[in-house]
Amino acid sequence: MTEAFPGGAIEEARAIIARYPAGRERSALMPLLYLAQSIEGYVSREALRAIAALLQITTAEVEAVASFYTMYRLHPTGTHVIGVCTNLACKLRGAVAVLEAAREATGVGSSGHGVSPDGAFTVHEEECLGVCDHAPAVQINVANHDEVTPERMRELVERLRAGEVPTPARGPAFASFREACRALAGLEPAPPTPGGGA
Amino acid sequence: MTDEPVTLTIDGKEITVPAQTLIIRAAEQLGIEIPRFCDHPFLEPAGACRQCYVEIEGQPKLATSCTVRVAPGMVVRTQETSELAREAQVANLEFLLLNHPLDCPVCDRGGECPLQDQALAFGPGESRYREAKRVYEKPIPLSPLVNLDRERCVLCARCTRFCDEISGDRFIELFERGAGERVSIAAGEDFRSPFSGNTIQICPVGALTSETYRFVARPFDLTSADGVCPHCSAGCNLRVDVRRGQVVRHLARDNAEVNDAWTCDKGRFAFRYPDDPARITTPLLRDRGLEPASFGEVLGWVADRCVGSRVAFLTGGRLLDEDYYALSKLARTVVGTNDLDHRRHEGGAVEVWAASRPMSVAYADVERAPAVLVVGLDAEQEVPILHLRLRKAARKGARITVVHPRRTRLHDVAAHVLCRPGEEASLLREAVRGAGPLASVVEELGAAGGAGVVLAGERCSSAGAEAALALARTAGARFGYVVRRANDRGALRAGVHPRLLPGGRAVDDPAGRAALAPLWGDALPSTPGRGRRAILEAAAAGELDVLFLIGIDPLTDLPDGALARRALENVPVKVVQSLELGDLEPFADAFLPAAAPVEKAGHVTTWEGRRQRVEPVRGPVGLSRPDWEILAGLAAAMGGDLGFETLDQLDAELERVLEAGLGTPDAGAVEPFVGPDPRGGEEAPTAADPGSLLLFTYPLLVDEGRLSARADELKAALQDPAFVEVHPDDAARLGLAEGAAALVTTEAGRAEVPVRLNEHLAPGTAFVPFNNPGLVAGTLLAGSFWIPAGLEPATVSRAREASA
Ligand code: SF4
Ligand code: SF4
Ligand code: FES
Ligand code: FES
Repeated sequence: MTEAFPGGAIEEARAIIARYPAGRERSALMPLLYLAQSIEGYVSREALRAIAALLQITTAEVEAVASFYTMYRLHPTGTHVIGVCTNLACKLRGAVAVLEAAREATGVGSSGHGVSPDGAFTVHEEECLGVCDHAPAVQINVANHDEVTPERMRELVERLRAGEVPTPARGPAFASFREACRALAGLEPAPPTPGGGA
Repeated sequence: MTDEPVTLTIDGKEITVPAQTLIIRAAEQLGIEIPRFCDHPFLEPAGACRQCYVEIEGQPKLATSCTVRVAPGMVVRTQETSELAREAQVANLEFLLLNHPLDCPVCDRGGECPLQDQALAFGPGESRYREAKRVYEKPIPLSPLVNLDRERCVLCARCTRFCDEISGDRFIELFERGAGERVSIAAGEDFRSPFSGNTIQICPVGALTSETYRFVARPFDLTSADGVCPHCSAGCNLRVDVRRGQVVRHLARDNAEVNDAWTCDKGRFAFRYPDDPARITTPLLRDRGLEPASFGEVLGWVADRCVGSRVAFLTGGRLLDEDYYALSKLARTVVGTNDLDHRRHEGGAVEVWAASRPMSVAYADVERAPAVLVVGLDAEQEVPILHLRLRKAARKGARITVVHPRRTRLHDVAAHVLCRPGEEASLLREAVRGAGPLASVVEELGAAGGAGVVLAGERCSSAGAEAALALARTAGARFGYVVRRANDRGALRAGVHPRLLPGGRAVDDPAGRAALAPLWGDALPSTPGRGRRAILEAAAAGELDVLFLIGIDPLTDLPDGALARRALENVPVKVVQSLELGDLEPFADAFLPAAAPVEKAGHVTTWEGRRQRVEPVRGPVGLSRPDWEILAGLAAAMGGDLGFETLDQLDAELERVLEAGLGTPDAGAVEPFVGPDPRGGEEAPTAADPGSLLLFTYPLLVDEGRLSARADELKAALQDPAFVEVHPDDAARLGLAEGAAALVTTEAGRAEVPVRLNEHLAPGTAFVPFNNPGLVAGTLLAGSFWIPAGLEPATVSRAREASA
């Protein structure tokens, strides 16, 4: 069987698997999903299959995990991924208006899988992010922003467009969704590629 | 954690149960039925459906009785005594039905649906839900056998837990979550598990339905009987359903001693053979141009040719104990020959052992064993329910080691030692001396203090099987000899064997013959008879007058290829007793129509040695008769008497012979057979020619066997056209590539088949399935299931032929 990984990242994938004890390789499932997402911006079907083959489990097992968690995207994303929590607490505190503001400011339509025409943004609804005390909550490239109003949402989008990396309420910030996923996979930031970057 | 029994109160009644019992099980023992969907006695608790709420005194919230284990002094109130629990159950049923399509009138499950039944018994009559229901495309095929209707699913996760916990074939999973949660399969993957049908049976609604039973019947249309699966020696207990005389469904019957609640897909879906149009249900006589004749006429004709003639009997492995016993007695007491055999593999001394013992290893012993050694058996493909029991043992912590030339589907729970066929004996003997790759296994088995288990498949050489028995004795482990076909063990026990009388007594042992004398008389033939291969050789050499083929087609079922054909061409009288003629039509001189397994009462013996009763679901079709009746009729036509006229009389005699120990040798007296192993001794022939590999074969679960006739969906799901598997190193050396055709040449024949590379194959070997579409592997064999073979790319051989 030839082993492969999207973007040719097979060595990195093997290094991730090697973190776990023999016989427990499947523990690498979630970091591998992040690795795939850091390369393609989402978890493609090829990635699902490649991970299944590497871990010697079925594609269904990989897809069950990837489809359960909203931080894994199963469709292509823009450079920045904005998740607006629309669960109960946030909804009561105005999340729907924030979501609309995000869609409007980014140009992402409300249908389909939400990528703006310029490819810069994806907007989607999130389940409870666990910070209900700071509702409405928003995630930008995985970093949390608290008590976001529609105005603040528009401002955040403008700053992202200008190439800034807005400071989140806590924890590190990332310049793109792919960078965030790379960190979540537990890998050092990728060396800058010529002409690349957000 | 203590194992003290626990006393608790449920609905005011006190009960004492073993520690760790779930409340829902304890309530069952009191006859209190708590409604449930996700709970299943053979699956781990999940608490997924929330239907089984009960009140537990002192706990602030209701609890799911399928996940909470009993505790001393616990006071539980079910819906019978707690208004709160009852209201919660009613509310939950209303909730489960929110999105349910309520399409019972067109649902296959209607009339036997736990959701329907419990909604009727416990549910609210009306729903308050007025909004639009969730809609899915329905149904979608998960495989050619299983359909999924997601609208009906109650997300109980029984199906996905089965695939995770029991079969390990995790092709279906719960995808997404919340309102979008659904059972699904990965795009492009098939539900290719030989146990897939179990999910249909345990689905508590009509979400998973069977392609073979779609819109076929309603429960009240069915007549049912308790059968035992005829497809392998696992002995799965089945419920056989008949509608207007036709078999329309097999279901698993729960039996924790044998198959738990499961069957494999072959047992479940290969049920159409009794109604195959190719079946013949009248006696036929060649003299009349194979025209129908009466039983009396055909039996008289056959009897005339048997009297004073050289007669031999070959059988298949799927008759009932009673049939085998009648044959064994007919051959010895009326025809006067020991030339009878049922075997495809010869197991040597181990056969004596298996013929003389009722049960040495039961499924429960496998499940409890801390260490198991499996030799020469691909359990998933050969005895699938044993495979599930081995997996269950592994879940409980058993260390399992498989010695086999090809990695098996136990690979995720067992260590494999790949060894060439025929090399088992030397590996095992080495292990007994404390050396080699299996030395630690002997230690593990020894440390198990009598609870270790050694299982030797019938494909071991006789030396290999004997070495396995010796190893088991050294390690103090239990030993089981695993035959493959549904009643191979029953045939052995009944003495359908050239050297063994019923109960494992040798024909040349005067004490054994004397023990049978009260029932069999004292004129039994005392020289060992011919075995299968020798019978065919004698037939081919013109040394036999009459050959009986009972439930067997030697052209496809035996590893004797060309010899079988020559045998058929050279015996003057061929008597076929079976469901049909098939390939034997050009050869048969007389045909005796046998009743199908679903039409017979009697017993079958599992690989363990357990005798199980089967009941007919319908009478024999046409003029067909149970085999034992035909044989008793033949005895009478020959002027003899088998001594029984009814099945009860036969059973009483058989029980006397087998169970009262009559004819059973004492336990220690297992001497190896003298004489050469028919398969070339303990060591496999080494390939002198570097282009040659050791070709081995065995039937895969779903093959072209006659009992799989018309099981088209099953074949579409699980069967591949013939192939030859080669190790990548050998393939590279021989210039063979994945998917490209190879020419396989043996001393017996040649065939062209596509190559599959398998890195988990013993190097130096090649595997072909025994009877998959495109190749009858028997045509490549010369008496045993392995043979040296030359392999080369078919293109090369064609080019050579073209230039020659
Ligand atoms: S398909 Fe049936 S068994 Fe599977 S989760 Fe749904 S209801 Fe349960
Ligand atoms: S495991 Fe064997 S006995 Fe059981 S259903 Fe399958 S073929 Fe029949
Ligand atoms: S509901 Fe939005 S963070 Fe909890
Ligand atoms: S039966 Fe108890 S939660 Fe489903």
